[in-house]
Amino acid sequence: MTYFEVANSSLVYLLVLAVIIFVFVLSAIFTRKAWKRGIELGFGKELLRRVVKQSLIFTLVPSIAIVIGLFALAPALGIPWPWLRLSVIGSVNYELMAADMAAGGMGLTLAEASSGGPAAFGNIMLVMTTCIMGGMIMLLIFGKGIMNKVSKLSKSRSDFNHVIMSCFMIALASVFIPGILAKGIIYILTFLTSLLVTAGQAVLVQKFKVRWLKDFILSFSLVIGMASSILWTALLG
Amino acid sequence: MKTSEQYKNEIHRTGRIGLLITILILIAVPVIICSVYGIFPTFKEFFLSASGLLAIFVPLTISEVISFTPLLGPAAYLTFITGNIMNLKFPCAKGAMDVAGVTPGTEKADVIATLSVGISSMLTIIIIALGVLLLVPIEPILQLPAVKTATEYMLPALFGALALSLLKSTGEIQVKGAWKSGIVPFILIFIVNVFIYPLSGLEGVVLLVIIPLTILCSRIIYKKGWIKVIYGKEPEDIEVIE
Repeated sequence: MTYFEVANSSLVYLLVLAVIIFVFVLSAIFTRKAWKRGIELGFGKELLRRVVKQSLIFTLVPSIAIVIGLFALAPALGIPWPWLRLSVIGSVNYELMAADMAAGGMGLTLAEASSGGPAAFGNIMLVMTTCIMGGMIMLLIFGKGIMNKVSKLSKSRSDFNHVIMSCFMIALASVFIPGILAKGIIYILTFLTSLLVTAGQAVLVQKFKVRWLKDFILSFSLVIGMASSILWTALLG
Repeated sequence: MKTSEQYKNEIHRTGRIGLLITILILIAVPVIICSVYGIFPTFKEFFLSASGLLAIFVPLTISEVISFTPLLGPAAYLTFITGNIMNLKFPCAKGAMDVAGVTPGTEKADVIATLSVGISSMLTIIIIALGVLLLVPIEPILQLPAVKTATEYMLPALFGALALSLLKSTGEIQVKGAWKSGIVPFILIFIVNVFIYPLSGLEGVVLLVIIPLTILCSRIIYKKGWIKVIYGKEPEDIEVIE
């Protein structure tokens, strides 16, 4: 069998489909538990529906970007394996790099990985699987402990503990935003467009009481920001 | 009604069992394929390919757990199982917390984040499956230069949309002026990115250094009285059921 006959074989499709169905069911279980707990905690159904609506709308655009990532991986890895990786565990930002490095270890580029025969595909799958497990194993062992610590911090009567909690968000912004801005002028302009659109919508919600807009701020800003990058690229790219 | 402790135990049990099964079946997929087709690599081949990747991914994925778990609570289980954390699941959960007006780290925030990540995960799985089914007809559309450009700039657009939410405290407990503790880390990371080494792709590891630095800065600023903690009432959007 050739590299792609294995990569696109019905066995690979079958196994991938089984894992994806399991994760879909698990997601449904988590969703149901959270919904029920939300009701118990006193959130009205209306608010929970708004959370669901916001999550659905926001998910659309990044998910389409993930499908584009699938197209980038499929010519080198077949369809089912990238399908699994992008639906479960993987990240569109890292998968291409991971696959490329796995092929690189065999002295091949990702584009020419098929020349290594089906054994190359087996190696890439095993390497990509092993290397991404660290986070899940770490979460399995230490996740509950970390969450219990955070829960204690947030229930604390000490003001500074609440300051510490807010530091996680601030640190996240301090790491990711400068890295994005340092990439060039189109990145900066896209970031600023999105920021201004968000601020504008926040004003509409708070000052002009356009309350329905609150659920769409993130989605609108993302789409308008991304669309603006086309304009900035045409003008300056 | 379950007590907070009962709910926590139940959601942790579901999360950990789900995580364990996912780990096992994810390992089983390549092992079964390699066994059936007789394509197991030798240890040397495997090690040569895996060593570089392990050196990058192990610290990266571990640091992501340390950085994101405190913000997501039990939603972290599903977030790490379904992946695409920074480009989809975390912003989605943060947006949901903002809509509900809850404070990260509280049980209410954990519930909202779990609901949001659950819904987002199911929709992403459906959209990717549709992408696979409709691969041939939709590929030309998604390969258009304008679509590719817009996708390339998704992260700056995402962070532009999230920036105010990340820096501004929301919910029942508000930390006013907390953004000031991010000034020094922000400048430091900007200088490193521009003049020393681009940190793109290593953000998870960098966070391990920047979180303690931000807490240290906040301690100094808090002592000076430039950060205030305000205990507010429940947001008006939350309807309490009797």
